[in-house]
Order: sequence, then C-alpha cells, then structure tokens
Amino acid sequence: MKKVIYTLFVIAGITFVSSCKKTLDAPTKSSLDESVIFSTPSLAEGSIAGVLQSFGETNSYRGRFLVFYGLNNDTEVYNTLKSVDDDKAKLSNYNCNVNNSQMNTTDNAWAKFYEGIERANLAIRGIRTYGNIESNPAMAQILGEILTLRAVIYNDLIKGWGDVPARFEPITTATAYLPRSDRDVIYKQLLADLNEAAGYLPWPGENTTTARVERVNKAFAKGLRARLALAAGGYAQRLDGTVKLSSDPELSHDKMYAIAKKECLDIINSGKLRLLGFEEVFRKLNEETGAAGLESMWEIPFSDGRGRVIFDLGVRHIKTDQYTGQNKGGTDGPNPIMLYEYDNDDVRRDVTVVPYEWDGGDGTKGAIQVPSSLGRLYFGKYRYEWMKRRVTATNDDGLNWMYMRYADVVLMAAEAINDLDGPAAAAPYLKMIRDRAFPTAPNKVTAFMATATASKSAFFEAIVNERALEFTGEMLRKSDLIRWNLLGTKLAEAKTKLQQLENRQGKYAALPAKIYYRTAANGETVEIYGLKLGDTDAQGVALGYTSNKAWTMVTTGETVSYWNALYTKDPNLQQYWPIWQVFLDSSNGMLNNKPLNL
Amino acid sequence: MSRVLLFLAFFSFFGLSVTHAQTRQVTGTVKDKKDGQPLVGVSVTVAGTKNGASTDTNGTFKISMPTNAAVLTFTYIGYKTKNVSVTNETKLSVTLDEDANNLQEVTVNVGYGIVRKKDLTGAVGSVGADVIAAAPVSSALEAIQGRVAGINISSSEGSPDAQINVRVRGGGSITGDNSPLYIVDGFPVTSIADIPPQDIESIDVLKDASSTAIYGSRGANGVILVTTKNSKDGKTNITYNVFGGIRKLAKKLDVLSASDYVHWQYERALLDGTPTDYTQYFGNYQDIDLYDNVAENDWQDLVFGRTGTTFNQNLSITGGSDKTKYSLSHSFVTDKAIMQMSDFKRQNINFKLNHRLYDALTLDFGFRYADTKTNGGGANEQNEKSSADSRLKYAILYPSFPVPGLTASTDTNDEFNLYNPLVAISDNDQYVHRKTYNINGAATYEIIDNLKLRSEVGYDGFRNDQDRFYGITTYYVKNLADYPNLPTLNSMNTTRNSFRNTNTLNYNFSKILGKSHNLNILLGQEFIKTEQNTLTTEVHGFPKTFGFEQTRVLTTQGKASIIDNNFLPDDKLFSFFGRANYDYKGKYLLSATFRADGSSKFSAENHWGYFPSVSAGWRISQEDFMNGTKSWLTDLKLRGSYGAAGNNNIPPGQITQSFQNSTTTWINGFNNYWAASKIMANPDLKWETTITRNIGLDFALFNSKVTGTIDAYLNKTKDLLILFPVGGTGYDAQYRNLGQTQNKGLEFSVNWNAIKEKNFDLTVNANISFNRNKVISLGSVKNINGTSGWASTEIGVDYLVEEGASIGRIYGYKSAGRYEVSDFTGYNATSGKWILKPGVVDATAFVGTVRPGTMKIEDISGDGKIDLSDRSIIGNTNPLNTGGFSLNSRIYNFDLGAYFNWSYGNDVYNANKIEYTSTSKYASRNLISIMESGQRWTNLRADGTISNDPAELSAMNANTTLWSPYTRTFVLSDWALEDGSFLRLSTLTLGYTLPEKISRKLKMKKLRFYASAYNVWLLTNYTGFDPEVSTRRNTPLTPGVDYSAYPRSKSYLFGLNVNF
Repeated sequence: MKKVIYTLFVIAGITFVSSCKKTLDAPTKSSLDESVIFSTPSLAEGSIAGVLQSFGETNSYRGRFLVFYGLNNDTEVYNTLKSVDDDKAKLSNYNCNVNNSQMNTTDNAWAKFYEGIERANLAIRGIRTYGNIESNPAMAQILGEILTLRAVIYNDLIKGWGDVPARFEPITTATAYLPRSDRDVIYKQLLADLNEAAGYLPWPGENTTTARVERVNKAFAKGLRARLALAAGGYAQRLDGTVKLSSDPELSHDKMYAIAKKECLDIINSGKLRLLGFEEVFRKLNEETGAAGLESMWEIPFSDGRGRVIFDLGVRHIKTDQYTGQNKGGTDGPNPIMLYEYDNDDVRRDVTVVPYEWDGGDGTKGAIQVPSSLGRLYFGKYRYEWMKRRVTATNDDGLNWMYMRYADVVLMAAEAINDLDGPAAAAPYLKMIRDRAFPTAPNKVTAFMATATASKSAFFEAIVNERALEFTGEMLRKSDLIRWNLLGTKLAEAKTKLQQLENRQGKYAALPAKIYYRTAANGETVEIYGLKLGDTDAQGVALGYTSNKAWTMVTTGETVSYWNALYTKDPNLQQYWPIWQVFLDSSNGMLNNKPLNL
Repeated sequence: MSRVLLFLAFFSFFGLSVTHAQTRQVTGTVKDKKDGQPLVGVSVTVAGTKNGASTDTNGTFKISMPTNAAVLTFTYIGYKTKNVSVTNETKLSVTLDEDANNLQEVTVNVGYGIVRKKDLTGAVGSVGADVIAAAPVSSALEAIQGRVAGINISSSEGSPDAQINVRVRGGGSITGDNSPLYIVDGFPVTSIADIPPQDIESIDVLKDASSTAIYGSRGANGVILVTTKNSKDGKTNITYNVFGGIRKLAKKLDVLSASDYVHWQYERALLDGTPTDYTQYFGNYQDIDLYDNVAENDWQDLVFGRTGTTFNQNLSITGGSDKTKYSLSHSFVTDKAIMQMSDFKRQNINFKLNHRLYDALTLDFGFRYADTKTNGGGANEQNEKSSADSRLKYAILYPSFPVPGLTASTDTNDEFNLYNPLVAISDNDQYVHRKTYNINGAATYEIIDNLKLRSEVGYDGFRNDQDRFYGITTYYVKNLADYPNLPTLNSMNTTRNSFRNTNTLNYNFSKILGKSHNLNILLGQEFIKTEQNTLTTEVHGFPKTFGFEQTRVLTTQGKASIIDNNFLPDDKLFSFFGRANYDYKGKYLLSATFRADGSSKFSAENHWGYFPSVSAGWRISQEDFMNGTKSWLTDLKLRGSYGAAGNNNIPPGQITQSFQNSTTTWINGFNNYWAASKIMANPDLKWETTITRNIGLDFALFNSKVTGTIDAYLNKTKDLLILFPVGGTGYDAQYRNLGQTQNKGLEFSVNWNAIKEKNFDLTVNANISFNRNKVISLGSVKNINGTSGWASTEIGVDYLVEEGASIGRIYGYKSAGRYEVSDFTGYNATSGKWILKPGVVDATAFVGTVRPGTMKIEDISGDGKIDLSDRSIIGNTNPLNTGGFSLNSRIYNFDLGAYFNWSYGNDVYNANKIEYTSTSKYASRNLISIMESGQRWTNLRADGTISNDPAELSAMNANTTLWSPYTRTFVLSDWALEDGSFLRLSTLTLGYTLPEKISRKLKMKKLRFYASAYNVWLLTNYTGFDPEVSTRRNTPLTPGVDYSAYPRSKSYLFGLNVNF
C-alpha cells in the first residue's frame, strides 16, 4: 500500500515538474498571429476595415469631426451660431475651450483618430515584416491603402488640432506619452508615405478593388499628396503660436507647389477621372452608386446604418416624410452671403445653397418644401430626397463622405501651375471648372477667363473665389484660407458682407426685403422669387405668389447678431481646436495648448 | 520547482505502520439524559485508537474493540463528551448530558479544513441551515441578507434572478469587480445563485486576511464558503419542504390624471413655441374638458400588476450506514413574476456520497446540477444597446388613454419616442437557460495516525444560453440592424468549464507534542484551469410580423449577420499553500498561513504572488486572574490578525497585444475587421494586494445566554488593477497597477437567548457594520470619472473618484429651486423674453430659456452662468451602517420568526425621478404626481394663454413648490438624490408543529405548517419604488442608480416541512 502511494506521488510529482514551465501559459485563442494575418491578402484586407472602423466610431468622423470641423468661414457656418456661448457654437466661433462638452470625452475624434493610426501602424509593421510586397502586388496594394488612410487621418488631425504627436510606429511603453510634434515632421513622413503608396496602388477601375470609390486608388493617393503638399507649403499657426510658413527648406513653398503640380498633372493626364455635370456629381453621391473613375476619388465608406452626413450637413426635414424616416439635417449650412456670390447663370448655386426645408405631411407622405430663412440655409449637396433608399434609422443616414473629387485636383493644378509657371499655363484648368459651371453661358466664361489671366495675382484671386463657389459644403474652405493666410481677412470680409446684406447695403442694396413664394404645381417643390441680385419687391408682388416673408437673418430678442457670431477670438490665433482636457489629463504632462494660448 | 520537490520530500518523511490485535464486540444504546430519547449518530470511539462507530436510528451501536482496551469515548455535537470504562460488559447503556455551552463545539469552515469556532483567530461570520432556510426565497444570498456583520448584500432590483451585489467589508478595487470569491464544497464558482437554500448546510464568510489568505490571489474581497448538506449520521431521513404563495407589486408611483396630463401638454407646447405639438394630438384647447372623464389605463398595473405565484419544493433523502453516508435532494422552484411575460423556473439535483472504504481511506463524491430558465427581458439590462430601450419608463410616461396619431401605431415621433408599454416588453423579450453542473471526487487517506492526505478532483460546467429579441420598436433595430425596422434575434451561448485538482496533507502533532500543545499543519497544492468560449449569433431581417418565439425557432427566416465563436484565453491558477494552527491549552492560539499563487493572467516575471498571514487569539477567560468573573463571563477571547490577500480579477489576455477579429456593420464592403483590442496590453501587470488588519473580541455571558463578537479592521489595497483611460494613445484604456484604497470598519454582532423555558423560548439576534472607504492614492491620475449613462449622453459624468474620498460619490449640480418672479426685472414683450436682474445666475445655456418657474441651479463657480464648472459632489452611495436583527420565538408548538435588515445613510440616485419630472427634449410624455398641478409651477391661465404678468404669475404659484417640468435636458441635481436609508421586515413567519403524538401516527417524525410573508414592511423616506437598488452596474463606478429597475414585490406564502 505504502509503496503504491509513494509511486503514485512520484509519478504525480514528475508530471508537475515536467509540465510546470507550460502550466501557466495561456495564449490567446480567438486570434491569429501577425505572421499569418499579414502574409495573407484576404486576411490583411481586414486591417483596412479596422482603420475605417475607427472613422465610424460615435464621436469620430461620424458624429463630431465631419459636422464641426471647418466652421465658421466665409462659405460655411454652424447654423445655430448665434447661441455664441453654446459649446457647439464655440467649436465654430474660434472660442473653443479645453472642456468643450461636445468633445471632451475619452471617445472623441482625437482618440479615435489615434486609434485608427495605431491600427494602421500595426498593419504597416505587419505587412512590411511578413507581406512580401515585392512579389505580392495584392499585399502591396493593401499597404498602399493603409499608408493612404493613415495620411487621411493625419491630415485631419493637423487640421483639427495643429501640431500633434507623431506616431508612425506601434506604441510601446517608451512611446506611450508623446508631446506635440512639429507638423513639418509629420508632413515629410506623409509625403514620403503617399509617394510610396501611389507606387503600390492601381488607378481607379484598374482592378476590382479600385472599381469602387470606397477603396483607395492611385489617383486619390496622389491627390491627397497634392493637398498635403499645398498645406505643408502654406501658412499655418505653428507651435510657437504665430502664423507663418515652414522654415524647413525641404518644405519650401516652391518645392511643395512643384509636388502638387506634378501629382495633379499625373492624375489629369492619366485620363482615369472626369468631370460630370455639377448636379450629377452630388446626385450620384446621394444615390450611392459608388463607381470609381468618375469625379469622386475616395469616399469614407459608411454603411447604410452608420454616418451622419445628411443628418448634420444636409437639407433639413422638419418631420419624417416621403423621403426620410429621419427628421434631421441642417446642423451646418452655407454662409448666407453665398446665396449672392454666384453669377445668375452659375448652375452651382442651386445645387449648393438651399433656402428651404421640408415640413408638413403625416410623417410618411405629403411634406412640402417651405422657405427657411436668410440665417438658416442648407447644403444642397446632401439631400435625403436624392437618395434611392428611405433612411429609417433615427441616428444615422449612412451616406458616404466624399473626401476628394476630381474638380479639387483640377483647381489645385491651376493654383500650383499659376504659382510656378504663371496664369497662361494655368488657365486651361480653371476654365475646365468654369465651363462646367456655366453650361449655358460660355460667353461669361470667356469674359471671366480674360480677367482672371490678367496677372498671376488676379489668377490667384480667381482661384480663391472659385474654390469657394465650387466646394461650399465640402468643408475644405477653412484649411484653404489658413494655408493662404486669408482666414482672418475673409472672415472679416464676410462679417461686413453679412451686415450689408441684412441692411440691404452695398451690393445688396437693391435686393428685395421679402421673398415671394408658392408651392409648385407638383404640390411639393417651392418656387421662390427674390433670391437673386436684380430681383425686386415690386416684381415679387406683381408675380402674385401666394405667400411672402421677410428675408432676414435677425430674429426678435436675439442678443448677438449673426455677423458678430461668426467669430469671437482672433481666428488667426485660434486656427485649430485645443487638445481636450481628458487627453491633457492622461498625457502625463506631455501635452498642452500653449500654441493657442490656452 | 524547488517548491514541488520540497513538497514531495514532506511525504517521504513520514513512515506509517498499522498494527492488528485481538478484538471483541460491544453493543449498546445512547440516550439523552434529560428526556431519555435515543440519540442518533453519536460517535463512539475506542479511546487511543481510530476504531469507531456511530449510533443508528434507535440510538444503538455496535463496536469491536481490542480486548486490552478499556475506555469508549462518546462524542455528539451539542453534548458533553463522555468516557465510559468497559471491563467485561458486552452491552452498555449510556446517557449524554446536553452541553449548555454548545456554541463552542460549532465548527467553522475556514477553507481546506474546519476549525472549532472557539479556536478561531480570524474574522469569520457564519450562518447555519436554520437561518438560511427560514426565508422563503430561492436564493441563498437573499436569505442571509442582514444576517452577517461585515457583509453587505443587496439585490439590484426586483426581478426573478436579479443580480445580487455582495461586498465583504466594502471593496478595495475601484474599476474592478469587488465580488467575493465563492467556494462551494471546495470548488470556486462565479455565482451561488443557482444553489437552493434548502440544500445548504452552512455559509461561512471569511473576512480578514488571516482567513482569506489561504485563498491567496482571489481572497482580497472576502471568501464565501458554502457547504452543502450531507448525511450526518448515516441514518435514513426523508424531508420534504414545500411552500407556495402569491406575490404582488409592492409599490406604484402615482402619475398625472388624464386631465392634468393634457393641461400640462398644452402648457408645454406653448412654452416650446410649438402649439401644434398639442393641437395635432389633443385637439383644441377649448375642448380640453373632454379629457376630464376619459377612461384611463393604469399601465403600471397592466405591466407589473399581475398576481405572481411562487412554488418551491425540496425533497431530500439522507441515509446510509456507519461506513457509507449519502444524501440526495431535488429542488424545484417555479415563479411567475409580477411583470408580464416574466417567469423563472429552476430544478436542482444534489447528490453526495461519503464512503469509508478502509479505516484509513475515505472517498467522497459529490454531484450538483442546476437548470434555470428565465423568461422575460426585465426592465433594463447591463449590456444594453441603448438606454433608450429601458422598459420601466413606458409604464410611467405613456399617456394613460389612447391618443390618436400618437399611441395608435408603432411609428412615433422623435419627440415622444415611447411605445405601448406592452409592446415595449414584448419587443425586448429574452429567454435565458442556464445549466451548471459540478462533479467532485475526493479521497482522504490517513497515511499514519493524524497524517491525512486528501486529494480532490473536480469539474465544473457552466452553459448559459441567452436569446434576446429586438422587436421593431427597439433602438437597435431602428438604428444598427442590417435590415432596419425588421426584428432581430441575438443569441449568446456561453460555455465555461473548470477543472480543479487539490491535494492537501494535514498533520496533527498531538502525539509528538503532548497534551498542552496542539499543533496542526496543513500543506497543499492546487491547480485550477478554466476554459470559456461564447458563440454569438445574430440574425437580422425577420419578417415584420415575427415575435420572439418565431424568431427563436425559425432562424432561417432571417439573415445571418454575426456568427462569432469567441474563445477566451485559458485562465490557469497553480498554487501552493500551507497553514499551521497552534494552541497552548486552548488558551493561546496562533495561526499562520501562506499561499503562493501563479496566475496565467500575468507575464512570466509576475506569475507568482505570495500571500502570508498570521493571527493570534488569547482566551482571557481561561486565565486564573479571571476567576472572579466566571459567574457572568463564560468566555472571552481576543483575536488579532494581519495578512495579505490578492486579486487578479481582470479579463485574461491582457499581457500581449493580440489581433482580434470583430464583426462590423459600419463599413460598406466589409463585415469584419482585424484590429488590436481597444484595451492596450500591459506586460507589467501584477497582483493587486490587500493588506488587512483585524482585531476582534468574542464573548459569551451568563452561561452563554448572551454571545457576541466585535471586530475592527483596517484594509489597505495597493497596486490596484485599474482600467486606466489612455485615450489619445491609440487605445481606450489599459489595465494598470496603480493607486491605493482603504476600508476600515467596525462590526458588532450579538445573540441573546433571552428566554429558554420548556414551552417558551425567545432569541434575539442582531448585527451592525460600519465601513468607511477611502481612496488614498490614484497614482498620477487626478480623478476617475464614472458615467452611468442612463440618459444616453445627456448627463455625462455623474460619479467622481478622487484621492482622499470614497468611491461611489455622485457628481452633479446643486438645485437652487426655481426662478421666482422676483429674480426678474420684468418681461420684455417685444423680445418675448424675461430679463434677469443683475447678479441672478443665468442658466439659459444649460436648461434652456429662463423665465419664472424655470429650474434654477446653484452657480457654484460664481461666474454668473451655469456650465460644467458648477458641478460638485452631491451625494454618497455608501451607507454609514448596515445590519439586521431577528426575533425567534417558540410558544408551545407555535414558532415565530421575524427578520429585519437595514441600511442607513446612503444616497440613492433617483434617475427615474429626473426622467419622470422633466421633459428634456421630449413631448407628450406623462409625469409622476410629484409634478402634478398644484405642485409644479404653472404659467397657464385658465383662458389657455401663457401669463407673463409678474403679479399674476406670483399669485398663480403662491402655493406651488416645484419648478416647471419644462427643461431642455435632463438635469442631475441634488434634488434627484434621496436618502436611501431603509428598514425592511424581510421575512415574517408563523409556524405550527404538530404534537409528536399526532405526527407519529401519521408516520412522520415531524410535521410543521407555516405562513410566511416576504418583504412585508418597509420603512423609508425614499420616493421611488424601492431604495435597495442599483441598475447601472456595467462599471463598478456607478452604484446606487435607480433607473428602470424591475419593481419589487411582496409575497405571502404557506408552507409545510415534513420529516419522515
């Protein structure tokens, strides 16, 4: 008996001794090793979705960045800007504090952007280590796509928060806390990354992946490189708080404009993209056709149930109706002066600036367009009524965000070439855009081009205006104005214009006091008279429309007038948002908002 | 490895020998000296040998003893031990004296062994079977609520199968789970909810490190040891317990009358500047008297008001022989709850077998099985898709009469966002089927005298199948499903299996050390491995008409959306432990334990944690100098202990950053993605350690008529495992060891056998505990925010953890009542605004347009406006003290028991009250009667216009006390915090036991009838349903929130106990 027991214990003991080393190993199970994921294209592709997932997080691009970045400027405003002390308005009126209640949460865009970056960094390391990109073009394309997505995020991080920590490697204990880095460091890395990425990526439509605008292609990588080059070679409020050009010779104005020119010409000369009709561009966007090789170059691929593009930026529907099961829209809108910036023959105005909203009906049918007010206009580029499906979700509409389109490339080409080679060389590109905008009035294009090409500075002036007319509602304006160092100037200009507009002074002196409107024969659309320069009250009355209303941006009892609500502090010294308090708190003292004097 | 070798060496140290000798047979009977009744199960041993037997049902025994031995020892729990010299007799008649001081023989389970209560040096609270079975409930934890000092048990709400929060001496962790470790018959389990109270022999709560350190890594939050019943004596005993009864909703909240509701809707619409909100649904104001006599639905009654029924039975058979003992029991509980579509069923089988194979070898076998089915989605859930789906509000806020266009269909406008309360519960239906089984085997081998080797092997299986239905009115289906507005079914099948092997070696040095010294040494080794995986499947896009039942059984009618079989990394724990108990003449007691735990949750360098403890006791009453007090002081013992216990309660897999594959419905073209977890790995993680100090006094007075315990403790937890926010680095959070917390407290418990007569006795039992929690350090972090999220994102941070203060503090605004007419200079008719006097705080940006009657918030920051800077700590959810007392009495054959428990000084965050008294952005919602006409500020003139006349408004509101419910958002102010103190008569029982003569005729040993009431009486100032509530438990940072809790019921029961 004794011996049996002893024997058993010796056996048991030996078992323990031999198994002890591994006894406490507990590897992850529902996972794959990096070496497997990043050597198999079908698996590695999932890391692209991993980065995009961060775009869709509640307070990332979806719920915060797209709606709040880029406001206020001479073309785009936050529609409730008159509540100047409201935290949402403060995000737009250059008076944002670190504890903004909209943004100061741990899941804010700031955090989700860095989450996307970390996911990209892990994927890039994985593919470079295990991907065999030299012999595996599919894997190279994935690397190119992820490098491009990382550049997208950094582009918006810099736009949103200025000089931000540079993270280009997966995080380690040593890099857990990083200070703000000079944006030049980031720009140089991104310009190199995008150059590399363009080498891996096919042109739009060259393979099945790039047949859709929801996946990155060579044209987008190049276009984004041009956009970044112009930003890197332009003005910005830097780490020391002042607005200036980069002092880094590698990022000199000329070098950067040369990059922009080269990349834009590469795209244009490839012939892989083309300009559609102006309305067609946005109809196609709202119809969610998604085919690459047209004007759209890349879109954030929100699924049907995620994303808030129309929800926040689109034409407002006060109730649910025949076009939408979601009564949203119009958080942001065009600056009222944009109604009067377009020539009467410019087809872009009615697509871009919508002076009505949808109301009435029983929730499923019968809603009609009713005029909004001068102080509450909508971006017509995003419309429920143009969608092919009826949105039923209460919080998301699922429309893609068009990140870049061919017209931007064409205008960047015009700008860069004018800068380097003069207006004559640049003229054809500006004319492409102008021709499209005036399909019925080619003589006006000719006259315009003659004025624009008079000098390099006249051409630049024309580009500044043209980009406003072309891109209102696409949230490119603020960063354009910053790189041109025109942010303060244009906002001051807009302030004066708004005041003149309200008081019917200056170029608005002849504008009627009211608008005159009726519901069209189709029982749905509204016909409005009095919105064009040259319209008169006398004519409006004579038309005999059923209704009229005062066309004003002042409301009774308001304490702050519209034009004074545009900006609070000096815009040039508040070019970006502060890093939010929660991130300062968890930065181990590495982060601060000294450049903004906060 | 050296540990293993050392361990093996220990075995080889002891030799053993067995001797054989001549024997003879002795038989006899054992009776109670007082009443002459035979005593069953008396242990009879031949002194100086291991030879033993026990008496059978007739009190007779048979034992073989060596011819040369002369003394038989008779021991029986509750009786004085007797030694009888045997010379030549072969037949003996023995009587035993009852031991008045029987408490001292009570044993306590201390983990891997038992000690006599009198020898205890640590802080241990125990509850016996009688108390556990006294409460007519299906959960043992509910039954012992308020019965043990130092353990705070509270159920989170009133649903069947509701989660019960247990805190032993507060809780050291901040973001981690503070639940104690549950050990059932030696096996660690995650919950004891599935064990029927009638099957439990005892529950022992280990409170200080000297007792918990033997569980090392997992003992920091206390250990609850459950011992299930087994046959004590091998005698056949059949018991049948049954009770059944009804349950009713304990309390309802009054809502506005129909007339008041429409008047308020009208005023709200005018204040909002959207009179169509009213006219569209309710007609013209001129016709408002139409609603004076409209028939009203009592939604609370329709949803929660049904008469529930409960039936609970337990049949148990115990028996065997002196060599083999077994017990087999079956329990069945069925409970139709008060909420529609909600019920609960449980079946349990419990089998225990104990067999003495040889004199030196005993085998134990145990098998437990529990099968629990819960129907109904309840009123809220922890893993909610959105707080918008919480169900209670529908029964309160939904208009009490049909409103065409508003309540007629499932389509609703955004500013109402409510659905028919009955539709809401059927659209959030759920079915949970949980099966747990546990198989345990053990062999105990007495290698030589007093050296016992025990080897246990166990297997624990857990299977939880949860089907959750999302109907077309749910937030999830409306917003996140692949096929919006079509029903969705989510099924989660969790399988968890644990394997355990424990080997202990126990040696009693009595032979070596002599009589005065008593030394017992335990050495042990344990290995536990847990595997877990969860299969989540989600099917979207069912036909619109499908209800829960159809979606469950016709999954092919929908479209598969998620199929995710997720395996967690194994959780392994490899441990060595030892304990030495020493006493000198039972007067000086010393105990030391040590445990080394290796956990797979930490990296190789940090695998091992070491948890030592020492404790000592001094039985003062046995000292000579105490002779003078003997007349009244029966026993007095001073105890002290110091030790460390650990905590590794974090999810496995935190050491390395692995890639996870997850499904996504957010991105076109992809249905899954690879990404690192949102939690950053931390290879440097190590054990969280709690150092506890305890000093205690056990006393017995007046011949043990009064017994009691006093304990004081100081627990410090360091290297807290905190889920640390690292937003901005690329991850959301990271587990880190940082900071330090402290719990200190006092516990008193006393038992008074006030009267003990033949036909009348009365026992009073009471305990009270005081615990004070404090965060000593949070490392580099300034504070940790908690967000209960009941109002989605409308309220934000509402709990704050800071250094120097306790956890569980509520952070919000201070109510300053309302804006009175005197706060304004007047009304500006052109701007349509009221103009505030200079110096009066402007809350416009926060609560919306300010006019007389608007809710007013205190401007703490003094900047003239209300914003985030005006928040402060407004409440604390920690009670000042908790406790319970009970009265038990017997008068002739009647018995009476009353069990009370209380909590004093804690705040409850009444989120319901906020939602039910303010409009936020919603229209058409009802209010509770706190806000009824005459209470709330009114602006409405009889002619249906809003008054802006200062004098008139003042006059109209001369008798109103509250602000106007019209606010832009929900506001958390101290008004919503209420004193959650309560005293509850949880159980009141009156029983009658049939006289023995009659029950004998019925072939029964005992027959008792009883009537019992549960949750019969509640004393509290709390205005909500019940102050014992905590519904936002997703993070431990937000305790004590009353939001959409399942209302509690009262039950009235009749029962029967039969012994055959």
